[in-house]
Amino acid sequence: MDAHANPAAHGKDHVPHVLPLSTYLKTWGALLVLTAVTVGASYVNFGAANLWIALLIASVKAATVALVFMHLYYDHKFHAVIFGVSLVFLAIFIIFTMFDTQTRGRADGIERERPADIKAPFAGTQAEQKLKEQRGALKIPGESAPTP
Amino acid sequence: MSVIAADDDLEGAPRPRGTNYINAERGIVSWLTTVDHKRIGLMYLGSVLVAFALGGFFALLLRLELLSPGHTIMSANQYNQAFTLHGAVMTFLFIIPSIPGALGNFLVPILLGAKDVAFPRLNLLSLYLYWIGAIFTLSSIVTGGLDTGWTFYVPYASTTNTSVLSVTFGIFVLGFSSVLTGLNFIVTMHKLRAPGMTWYRMPLILWSLYATSIVQILATPVLAITLLLLMAERVFHIGIFDPALGGDPVLYQHFFWFYSHPAVYIMILPGMGIISELIAVHAQRKIFGYKAIAFSSVAIALVGFLVWGHHMFVSGQSEVAATIFSFLTFIVAVPSGIKVFNWVSTLYGGSIKFTAPMLFAMCFLFLFTIGGLTGLFLGMLSVDMHLHDTYFVVAHFHYVMMGGTVTAFLGGLHHWWPKMTGRMYSQKLAAVAAALYFIGFNVTFFSQFILGTRGMPRRYYNYLDQFQPLHAFSTFGSWLLGVGFLLMLYYLLKSLKSGAIAPQNPWGGKSLEWTDAASPPVTENFEHRPVVTEGPYEFNEGKS
Amino acid sequence: MSATDKPARENEFQVAHHFDSADVQFDAGRMGIWLFLVTEILLFGGLFCAFAVFRSWYYADFVEAHHHLNRVMGAVNTVVLICSSLTMALAVRSAQMSKTKLTSLLIGVTLALSCVFLTIKFFEYSHKFHEGLLPGRYFTAEGFHGHHAGIFFAVYFMMTGIHGIHILIGMGLMIWLLRRNMRGEFSSRYYAPVEGFGLYWHLVDLVWIYLFPLLYLIG
Repeated sequence: MDAHANPAAHGKDHVPHVLPLSTYLKTWGALLVLTAVTVGASYVNFGAANLWIALLIASVKAATVALVFMHLYYDHKFHAVIFGVSLVFLAIFIIFTMFDTQTRGRADGIERERPADIKAPFAGTQAEQKLKEQRGALKIPGESAPTP
Repeated sequence: MSVIAADDDLEGAPRPRGTNYINAERGIVSWLTTVDHKRIGLMYLGSVLVAFALGGFFALLLRLELLSPGHTIMSANQYNQAFTLHGAVMTFLFIIPSIPGALGNFLVPILLGAKDVAFPRLNLLSLYLYWIGAIFTLSSIVTGGLDTGWTFYVPYASTTNTSVLSVTFGIFVLGFSSVLTGLNFIVTMHKLRAPGMTWYRMPLILWSLYATSIVQILATPVLAITLLLLMAERVFHIGIFDPALGGDPVLYQHFFWFYSHPAVYIMILPGMGIISELIAVHAQRKIFGYKAIAFSSVAIALVGFLVWGHHMFVSGQSEVAATIFSFLTFIVAVPSGIKVFNWVSTLYGGSIKFTAPMLFAMCFLFLFTIGGLTGLFLGMLSVDMHLHDTYFVVAHFHYVMMGGTVTAFLGGLHHWWPKMTGRMYSQKLAAVAAALYFIGFNVTFFSQFILGTRGMPRRYYNYLDQFQPLHAFSTFGSWLLGVGFLLMLYYLLKSLKSGAIAPQNPWGGKSLEWTDAASPPVTENFEHRPVVTEGPYEFNEGKS
Repeated sequence: MSATDKPARENEFQVAHHFDSADVQFDAGRMGIWLFLVTEILLFGGLFCAFAVFRSWYYADFVEAHHHLNRVMGAVNTVVLICSSLTMALAVRSAQMSKTKLTSLLIGVTLALSCVFLTIKFFEYSHKFHEGLLPGRYFTAEGFHGHHAGIFFAVYFMMTGIHGIHILIGMGLMIWLLRRNMRGEFSSRYYAPVEGFGLYWHLVDLVWIYLFPLLYLIG
């Protein structure tokens, strides 16, 4: 972000931000415990909640890895934004696709009940009534496709 | 200021003086191993122009075939292969890499006041990947052709015995190339701005390239996985897209359009950026609504991810999803509209010069507006049911992609040609070419709007006799377009040999490439590191 | 032209000509890696999307099919990957502290753990091949109630397969890192490739963290 903050700094060394060893070991321990928890939870049937419990634990683990091992907690905020944006767009991808896949066939019932006549799709509807009024006495050559 | 070199009286002028990025090193190896963004940009430019010529050649063949119903010059199978290659080459080998790869690579570091992009070697890799991808894609011409259309819809793409694999693999590789370019631009803009170059002092083309890069990074990997799944489907019959095995072909379309709809913004956004530059510089007027244009680019990039389902209104997608996508589609029109209004407001009261780049910018405004507005017809669910897969769609996306992006690309090419090559071209011939282009374009494609509303389906080899006059008219337009392009090729090549030496700032621009870099620039762009003290559009308007 | 392509010794590290300072160069590299990771997330995301769609359609079939995956092997592999993530994170740390030998050792351990991972994966795969638990048309296993177990295995093989390819690529990169580290190229002044690779490796772990419960535990 601050490419021009200090032009005179060329050649100055990068000083790494070293985390204490214990932080890594604790994170590792937490990840192992959470793995045990998620495996353990899979032996209990929570019904539909199975998925959400598994996802919740996985997300806690993923967040731990990202924040500590990947240094997101200590890094530039912008890198966290990049990471977050990717998750948002992944969510959009999945959710919008499922708008379709989860709601297919909603019109099937209506179409079964009131099947449309392909030759005269508007027969018996308000639209047909209006059309007739508009065209008045004009004779329409059937409701079939216009002659080429 | 703004001295437009009188071109014709400097025939046979001496070569540009001094060392610049073109003559700094010699020999083909120095070009193939260069990490100079300008040389990479120039190689990209050459490559995409070859791709454009190839795609254009297929287009002319298609139009010729459609001159009369039935067999004119090729068989139905050849016709299917020709339109597939036309689409695939133009989309993946030309439009997507055109502006970012060629002009973007050349311009981004210079406009920022940097010496190079952040990752110069990745930049070269991106070009190599482009070539490799292009070879795989084009290899289909000799290995059995491809007749799926550029969209590779399943189930046909997973069953046809044409060379789907090599093309999809080629496009998979091209995706990497595109991602690397986008990644490089984002990091460059964050990390390598010159002293004083704040975000709001960046020329607007950088904002639009930034937005483009966001889309490239977020969308392209989904294309990669789509193509991988398609390849797995073809080779291993894994069934994810095969309804006989429980899969879903419509899911393929979701995957494909999650990339390919945002990809149309990869195509148009850089063009919009170019137009912002051209209009401000050639009208010598401060751009109207800088922030509105800048943020509308980002808005288009982000909202563009929410509307892919409007390509699938007749695909068997659920009614609920179709309604949502139709509604959201109208929202994308808003930022595009903001841009057009701002450009027109910029022109108002400006000292407009009808230079070649300005003529192309004018073409853009006209053609893009038509293209954008007809997009609204197609975004409306009920109207699209009738217009879907007709020539109306073909005309619409040619107005946006060609009338928009290609016109902007040509405008940008004419605008930065003196900077890239150090030579001026003939303004008179350029004006004639722009006129031919504009007339040819409208003749070719406006007739297709009419064809579409009358029910002419797209991708058909044969058609009813009643459509013949309009088809013939459209084919005639394609010849005008062809002549226009040949003329452009002629005077641009001629300028390389005998064009007048370009001054540093032929158009009176205020951004860094004009004020601080020579024509053509030196290897690391600037003699002295530029320090930016004001925005790129601070023209002396009182004087003119 | 960046400093990374010269076989420079530790004290020869130079800031690439187009960067203002070493800090900017580091940040640029890290931002580049993060942007690359975004593409990885969306690449895998496509498969997660397919998983979500098909699981919601064929819930019973998915539950039935997932019982044919070996939960123990999956759990062991999870632990292996988490351990390799730790050793890689520690390798970055030791590179930051210029402990060259320790860095080599830790990268070596990570490499060994990735071999363990792939070996276990190999046994799992060969079991599936043997049983005919294969995607789509090649699904030949018998005794299933549902008709769509093939889709589950299509998703399973695509997900774990692409993940496995990432592990393989990671192993190649680790060998490359080891060579460079042994030549003494990395130190607290310059360790960007180690750090960048570390981020990649953690992401591969992160993907597995989701794959494991979704495929092995709940199906």
